[in-house]
Amino acid sequence: MDMVLEADRLGKRYGSTWALRDCSLHLPAGRIAALVGPNGAGKSTLLHLAVGLLKPDAGTVRVFGRSPYGDTEGLADIGFVAQDTPLYRDFTAAELVIAGGKLNKRWNAALARTRLAQLGIPPDKPVGKLSGGQRAQVALALALAKQPRLLLLDEPVASLDPLARREFLQSLMGSVAESGTTVLLSSHLLADLERVCDYLIVLNASQVQLTGAVDDLVAGHRQLVGPRHDGGAVGGVAAVIRASHTDRQSTLLVRTDGPVTDPDWTVREVSLEDVVLAYLADGTTQTSHSEWGVAA
Amino acid sequence: MIWLTWRQHRKQAFYTLLGLAALAALLVPIGLAMRHTFSDLGLTDCASQLARADVAQATRETCDAGYRRFGNQYGNLSLVAVLLITLPVLVGLFWGAPLVAREVEQGTHRFVWTQGVGRTRWALVKFGLVIGSVLILATVYGLGMSWWVDPLTKAAHEGRFGMIVFDLQGIVPIGYTLFAVALGVFAGTVWKRMLPAMGITLAGFIGVRAAVELLARRHYQPARTQTFPIEGEGPPEVSRGDWILAQGVRNPDGTMIAEGGRIQCPPGGKGPDGRVCGAELGLEPGAYNWQLYQPADRFWLFQGIETGIFVALAVLLLYLAVRRIHRIA
Repeated sequence: MDMVLEADRLGKRYGSTWALRDCSLHLPAGRIAALVGPNGAGKSTLLHLAVGLLKPDAGTVRVFGRSPYGDTEGLADIGFVAQDTPLYRDFTAAELVIAGGKLNKRWNAALARTRLAQLGIPPDKPVGKLSGGQRAQVALALALAKQPRLLLLDEPVASLDPLARREFLQSLMGSVAESGTTVLLSSHLLADLERVCDYLIVLNASQVQLTGAVDDLVAGHRQLVGPRHDGGAVGGVAAVIRASHTDRQSTLLVRTDGPVTDPDWTVREVSLEDVVLAYLADGTTQTSHSEWGVAA
Repeated sequence: MIWLTWRQHRKQAFYTLLGLAALAALLVPIGLAMRHTFSDLGLTDCASQLARADVAQATRETCDAGYRRFGNQYGNLSLVAVLLITLPVLVGLFWGAPLVAREVEQGTHRFVWTQGVGRTRWALVKFGLVIGSVLILATVYGLGMSWWVDPLTKAAHEGRFGMIVFDLQGIVPIGYTLFAVALGVFAGTVWKRMLPAMGITLAGFIGVRAAVELLARRHYQPARTQTFPIEGEGPPEVSRGDWILAQGVRNPDGTMIAEGGRIQCPPGGKGPDGRVCGAELGLEPGAYNWQLYQPADRFWLFQGIETGIFVALAVLLLYLAVRRIHRIA
């Protein structure tokens, strides 16, 4: 399978803190991938490394087989919309389309104009005066006009209201469906992306917790409910991701490697959200009792 | 890139030109009036006449009187000149500091650096265009100021080497302005916010300028010394336009008797008690006036050296700024 993005033990450090550490993942071509993790998990850092804004401190990252940092030519194949969709606020949308044309060799201005016209974006109003949803649409139109093979979107819907979120994602899906562009979009909320993505990368505490196709992930996990579990092996279970217990009962979220046939356990299918939450809860939180001067 | 730079900065460029035009509208009439008075007082030829060794006493007195009248009328303009030397740092604050800092503060660097032009090219084109425009502005400013301040410097004893007027005219404004802009750009790549970058630019500019002006400038060339006897006819016109670094009266063995002072006695003149001139100070016969100075004809050499220092600093800062840009995400 063609890999668009490959990271191998990738790491980035700010001072003495690792924002991203030992991150290994592959993103196959043609996928719509969600990069999910809580705030501060390293999502933006990973995207910045992928678009060449940052230089890795450890490991490697490759986009279409090239190392993105300092690779100006490689930039032509990557569309990037940064967090909060930064644009020159005193430029009009029409001027931004012109600017994009001056800054890129491959540039489909007609595509951008048609998109913006369809969305009813005024061409002669400074983008700083547009609504958040409209501004996000302008940023997306500019990224698409590059006709990229990989589109990276950093929290594109975080600042939008629910209606604008839906419209944004719908128009995104509409335009990448035809071109076969690989998309990687990040969010701290899975719910935002669940309906559109078919591939998932879960980041937590600067490390990759889970990565794979959505269908495989859902099919490969089960919830087991049964008598209180003592930690012993269960047939068909590869790993217990998360366990919660009451006095007599245990509820386990497990990764399976075969059918669970043990009659003690009631097996239930899980949603993608259940899986993601189980993995995120697994991430350890560093306590700071001593800094706060309170008892642990 | 050129289009983008123009589009981003056209408003700023317009207001800068408007400000310069307003300044010119204010200063040109004053400059014309000054020149008019200067020639009305018959001072136009004084400089060349006074430079001659055989200048007549009468000419000297007329010229000195004229200079004094001119100084009384226009001397206050030196204060205006003090205000005018702040212009280079203003360019640094409003053109240099926001160049990178504003992009990073508003996050637009992530937009523009991920387009098809890399950030190296972005930086080179943008710095190049801004520096080029600033160079033109600074040249116009330097030439304009040379014209404007010319009568004032001629009337002042220390001439073009005077502390404020040296900084105002010739080619040094170009060096100062380039340095201010480069410092602003660099500060913006380190602090990445406009206000801190502007603050650092202001502080850095004042610090470096003061250090060069007060400590370094006098040493650009070995200073010359001049001695002349304390007895002589009339006040000697020894140093119009020279930059006197130190002076005093020395005894024949070289010991400094009256530092910072100067003594002039008529030939054979006697002190209060009929003693030899200056005896009450402890001067022995054969004592002489001494001065350490940079001659007036070194003006352009000093302008060149000072401009070179600031241009070199500017180039260094821009190089560091381009390097730092690669570490901003």
